[in-house]
Amino acid sequence: MIYVSDYGGYAGRYLRADLSSGKITIHELEKELPRYYIGGVGFCAKILWDEVGPDTKPLNPDNVLVFATGPLTGTFFHSSGRYVVAAKSPLTGCWGEAHAGGHFGPELKYAGYDMAILEGKATNPVYLYVDDDFLELKDAAHLWGRDTNETTKAIREELGDPTIKVACIGQAGENLVRYACIISDFYRAAGRTGMGAVMGSKNLKAIAVRGSKSILATSSMKYMEAATEAFRKVTETWGEACESSLGRYGTPNLVEVEASIGRLPTKNHIFGIYDHADDIGSEVLEKRYRAMRESCFSCGIQCKFISEVRSGAYAGTTTSGPEYETIMAFGSNCLNNNVESIIHANLLCNLCGLDTISAGKVVSFAMECYDKGIVTRREADDLDLSWGNSDAIVQLVHRISKREGLGDLLAEGSRIAARRLGRGAEEFAIQVKGMEVSGQDGRAHQSSGLTHATAARGADHLTSLSCLEEKGYEETAGTRYGSERAKDLVNPLSTTYRGRLVKDLEDLFVLTDSLIICKYGVMWPPIFYFDDFAKVIPPLTGMVEYDDIGELRLTAERICNLRKAFNAREGLTRKDDTLPKRFLREPMPSGPGAGYVCNLDPMLDEYYEARGWDKESGLPLRKALTRVGLEDVADDLEALGRLGG
Amino acid sequence: MRKLLTVVPERCTGCLICELVCSFYHTKEFNPKRSRIDVLRDEEKGVNIPVICRQCAKPLCQEACPSDAIHRDEETGAMFVDGSKCIGCRLCIAACPFGAPSVDPTTMLTTICDLCRGDPRCVKYCPRDAVLYVRPDTISLIRRQQSAKKITRFPT
Repeated sequence: MIYVSDYGGYAGRYLRADLSSGKITIHELEKELPRYYIGGVGFCAKILWDEVGPDTKPLNPDNVLVFATGPLTGTFFHSSGRYVVAAKSPLTGCWGEAHAGGHFGPELKYAGYDMAILEGKATNPVYLYVDDDFLELKDAAHLWGRDTNETTKAIREELGDPTIKVACIGQAGENLVRYACIISDFYRAAGRTGMGAVMGSKNLKAIAVRGSKSILATSSMKYMEAATEAFRKVTETWGEACESSLGRYGTPNLVEVEASIGRLPTKNHIFGIYDHADDIGSEVLEKRYRAMRESCFSCGIQCKFISEVRSGAYAGTTTSGPEYETIMAFGSNCLNNNVESIIHANLLCNLCGLDTISAGKVVSFAMECYDKGIVTRREADDLDLSWGNSDAIVQLVHRISKREGLGDLLAEGSRIAARRLGRGAEEFAIQVKGMEVSGQDGRAHQSSGLTHATAARGADHLTSLSCLEEKGYEETAGTRYGSERAKDLVNPLSTTYRGRLVKDLEDLFVLTDSLIICKYGVMWPPIFYFDDFAKVIPPLTGMVEYDDIGELRLTAERICNLRKAFNAREGLTRKDDTLPKRFLREPMPSGPGAGYVCNLDPMLDEYYEARGWDKESGLPLRKALTRVGLEDVADDLEALGRLGG
Repeated sequence: MRKLLTVVPERCTGCLICELVCSFYHTKEFNPKRSRIDVLRDEEKGVNIPVICRQCAKPLCQEACPSDAIHRDEETGAMFVDGSKCIGCRLCIAACPFGAPSVDPTTMLTTICDLCRGDPRCVKYCPRDAVLYVRPDTISLIRRQQSAKKITRFPT
């Protein structure tokens, strides 16, 4: 076996903890992993493909939970502080993946691990303590039932190390809420697809990491030069663009942007325009609630803000955020213009470890069911779930995290909850593949519909969302896809070329998620493209073949195909790459997208064609898998009858 | 005139780029634990305070050093630790009122900011201008301006 130690940028090892037996082992990273899968989500795809089959139930001990970093993690590169967590998702039953920023990812790498793989189930609650080469599963019985803030502090105190980095779950993860998240650094969430519930199912309360090792680049001076150039692109070339939007307001800036293109999810996605958007927008947050600006590791943009509510019903609420998605989910989408209640719901989600997008969307689902008489006040445990009732929203979050009353049903996610409720509730579950739709709308922004439909983890934006039309980056559109297309590409209502566009961005984003850096700098603003990564990967890792953009794209496509194959093996087909009826059948009632539905099918056809997948079944074709070196995957799928064609 | 390294903590967001570029400049490795600048962080409150060597006019570290390893660099004024003399006893850390010197976890010897021989990388790379390299008479000026801004509409 050839190992990776001659590649720069990697820790060169990973750890594997079998929680059932309590055995922890350290492994050298096989060279194949960096060469063909780069890192991060690429590593996760390979490991989950190899180790988690259709027989694995997401919350059973045989599910495998992977924490992964990439070669850029912990080095000096814009926004290199991220990590990814992947497993089979309890929310979707297929590919699960969640990312977080902050400082946890780099620390894991400084401890000497590119990945931590967790399998099995501990008999009693435990947490994994990593201090360089010292690895131990420690008793967490006293931490069970405590929130993420208390857990982080208690672990730091008992280990006598106030700087140790902790990624943990709250009560929602313990209670197996299907969209429970993992919280690190108090506020950073690996939010989507219920990775916190997978941790909970393994009786794993937390991972605490301390690292003092170094990361070395293969050609250190060359890498530093290239990374500095890339950094200057963020802080200088695009400095004004970054600082006037993300830098000044953070993602809440999107409330105004989406309002202007009629794509701000409102009233469980019935509308794209919210009359009270200004009440929950970025200006209000900046002027009335902002306490501090903070940054993830090595970031040139620094878009995180701590908000404080100083008076009123939610006085004493302090939390990082709320981000745009949280504001949308608990605000406009619930017709709730009480911004203080949004900040408070955000805090609750952070403390008990809930994904704010799914949690908010499940609440708006419940509100629409209540409105339509599907859920009665008695069934809602006497909560008045009328639109905009901010107290009820906050109460419901509590009940979901504890699985109390209606909260127990809603903890299953909107897809399962709707099925159990029946009575036509399924129409109001705004989800794809079981995951609640993030804050876009494929009617007013057509390509975002294709993104929601095709993303492996369900209705997600960060897999391939195009910001070109959202914010009118005409010049970038022209440079990348040809000036003749630029005008059309910045039109949110156009569907032309969108299949190819979304495929291209998915490749770019999967590479971003493998290296790993933040989407802010890649997606919004669209600063980095393949050529930028081709300049840094070779001097960092020594993999000189990656100075060829074609090679880089091929690897990106390999990872996308493997992630797709994982879902194909689970039985997913074209019928799963779809959207809620609301986007396909109910024309947008108002705003710039008025009268439009999402014209998904032609975009989907073009997307499959660009991927070389079978249009009819949506399954990968042998040729496409062979082209990216996944012949064995094609064989496996064929044996299961899941290969296209 | 010699310049001094100074910090404006309220600007610091805790991105730790200073620590990364410091460790890289001195060791060619990325490792915040080998950095000579250290950001003291309270992530919960979002408070970040970069701790640096203050280049004291009367350096207690030098006084405490039993092996005569700490000297002032005449050109920059930085306190320079001679690695061949340092025995790693950490008395300088105990003596420094700010705990500015650090133990390098790789060598187990003490390191102190050397101002990158007159071109401090933390200053060059800090995206928020939270670390500055300025003339001594400017140090108070920055504070005075900040204070003036609070009580008047003084433009800074």
